[in-house]
Amino acid sequence: MLKSEKKSLIRFLLIYLGSTFLLFSIASWIFYVSQKHHLFDQQRDTLKFEAAKIITHLRTLHESYEQILVYPVLPLVSSSIYDLDKTYIFGTGKETPLLEQKWYMENEEKLYYLTEVQPHYVGAAFLLVSKELDVEPIKDLQKDILQFLFGAGLFFTLLGIFLGRLFIAPMRESMERMNLFIEDTTHELNTPISTILTNIEMLETFGKCEKNDELQRIEIASKTLSRIYDDLIYLNLNHQYYRHIESINVSDFVQERMVYFNVMAVNKKLELEVSIEDNVILEIDKNDLTRLVDNLITNAIKYNKKEGLLTIYLSQEFLSVTDTGIGIRKKDLDTIVCRFKRANKSEGGFGVGLDIVNQVVENYGYTLDIHSKEGKGTEVVVKWEK
Amino acid sequence: MGKIIFLCILFYVELYASEKQSEKDELQSKCLECHNKNQIPNELIYKRYLVKYSTKNAMTQAIMKYLKDPKKENSVMPPPFFLKFPMQRTLDINDTILEQNTRDFLDTFDMKKKLILP
Repeated sequence: MLKSEKKSLIRFLLIYLGSTFLLFSIASWIFYVSQKHHLFDQQRDTLKFEAAKIITHLRTLHESYEQILVYPVLPLVSSSIYDLDKTYIFGTGKETPLLEQKWYMENEEKLYYLTEVQPHYVGAAFLLVSKELDVEPIKDLQKDILQFLFGAGLFFTLLGIFLGRLFIAPMRESMERMNLFIEDTTHELNTPISTILTNIEMLETFGKCEKNDELQRIEIASKTLSRIYDDLIYLNLNHQYYRHIESINVSDFVQERMVYFNVMAVNKKLELEVSIEDNVILEIDKNDLTRLVDNLITNAIKYNKKEGLLTIYLSQEFLSVTDTGIGIRKKDLDTIVCRFKRANKSEGGFGVGLDIVNQVVENYGYTLDIHSKEGKGTEVVVKWEK
Repeated sequence: MGKIIFLCILFYVELYASEKQSEKDELQSKCLECHNKNQIPNELIYKRYLVKYSTKNAMTQAIMKYLKDPKKENSVMPPPFFLKFPMQRTLDINDTILEQNTRDFLDTFDMKKKLILP
C-alpha cells in the first residue's frame, strides 16, 4: 500500500469511525438515561405501592385500637410517620427531618418517598418511606451498553476498513496508471532524445563520413517525438479543441502520411502493400484525421515483426491497416481501446494510440473493428459509412 | 447531710406523684365518670379527633372549642352520635383546668404510645 493511500485510509477511518462512535455514544447515552429513568420509575412505583400497603395497615391499626398496636414492617423498606406539624411519631427508619420534595434520591443509592396520609390514621399526616435502590439492573444495563458499543465498534471498524479499501481502489488504480504513464513517458521520450543526441555526436565526431544513416535516425527520432507530443496534446486538449471541419481528400492524405512514415517502415524492413482508392473525400478536421491515420500506421509499424508485411487499404467505405505482428489476445480485444491499455508491453508506448483512434471514430460516428490473432497479426478497420 | 437531701428528693417525688394522681382523679371525676355512666365510647371520640387533627395541640383546641360551646358544628362526631348521646351543658371549669383535663384525656387514650415494632 502506498504511503498516500495509507494516509487516506487512516483519515477516512478516523472520520468514519469518529463520527460513528460519536453518533453511537450519543444514542447509547440517550438510551441509557431513558432506561435508567425507566428503572428508577419502576422502583418508584414499587415504593409507592409499599407506601400504600403501609397506609392500609395504619388504617387497620387505627380501627382496631387494641392495647398493643404492631407497626407494619415491610422487607427492605424503611418507613416513618409524622404528624401534621411534621413531628416524628414512629417508624422503622431513623428519625429524619422531612423534606419538601415528594421524591428524593440520596446519592443514587437510596430512594425516599413522602406521601400524605389522609385521613390521619394513628395521627399520621405524613408517611416517609425509603428503600435502598436496586442498582443491579442499572449495572446490567451499563454492561449491555458497553458490550453493544464494543460489538458495534468492532463491526464498524471492519466495515470501515472494507469500505475504505473499496473507496480508495479507484484512486489506487488511477495512481498506478499515473505512475505507469510517467514511467512510460520518460522511457518514450528518452529513446528518441538519446537517438538524436547520439547521432548528432557521431556527426560531429565523424564529420566527413556518410551522413545518410545518422540523419535518417535523427529524422525517425524527431518524428517519434513529434507524434508523442501531438498525441499527448490531443488527449489533453481534446475537450476544448475547436474542430475545423472541412472536405479532405483522404487518399492524398494517406499517401502523404505513408511518405512521412516511410523511413520508420524501411528501418524495420517492412514490406508495404498499399491500395488506395482515388478521391476518398471525408468531412473531417485535419488534426483528427492525422491522429487517426498516424496512430493506425505507427501501431502497425511498431507492433509488426521485422521484415513483416504492412497492408493499407483505403476505399470509399473504409480504411484498413493490417500488420503481421504480435497480435492481440482474445481476452484483451474488448478493452484494447481503453486509455493506457497495452496488450503487449514489449514495445514502447503509452497505450493511448487506439484510445485516440476510438475517440475520433466515436466523434464522427464511424465504426471501428479490430480483428486479431495472437502471433499472427492485427487488422484494424475504420468504416466511414454510417 | 446525705440523708436530708435524700429525704427532700423523696418528698418532692411524693408530692409530684400525688399531684398527678389528683389530676387523674379530677379527670375521672369531671369527665370519665359521666362518660362511663352514659356509656359514651371514649376511644371512638379520641379516634375521630385523632384522624382529623393529627396533633395533640390541634385536638386539644378542637375539643376545648366544643366543650366551651357544645354544638354539633363544633364537634367531629357524626349527627347520629348525638341522638344516642345527648349534648351536655357547658362545663363550669376554668380554661386552664379544662385544657389540662383535655390533655389528660388525650394522654389516657393516646394511640401513638401503643405503637411497637414487631
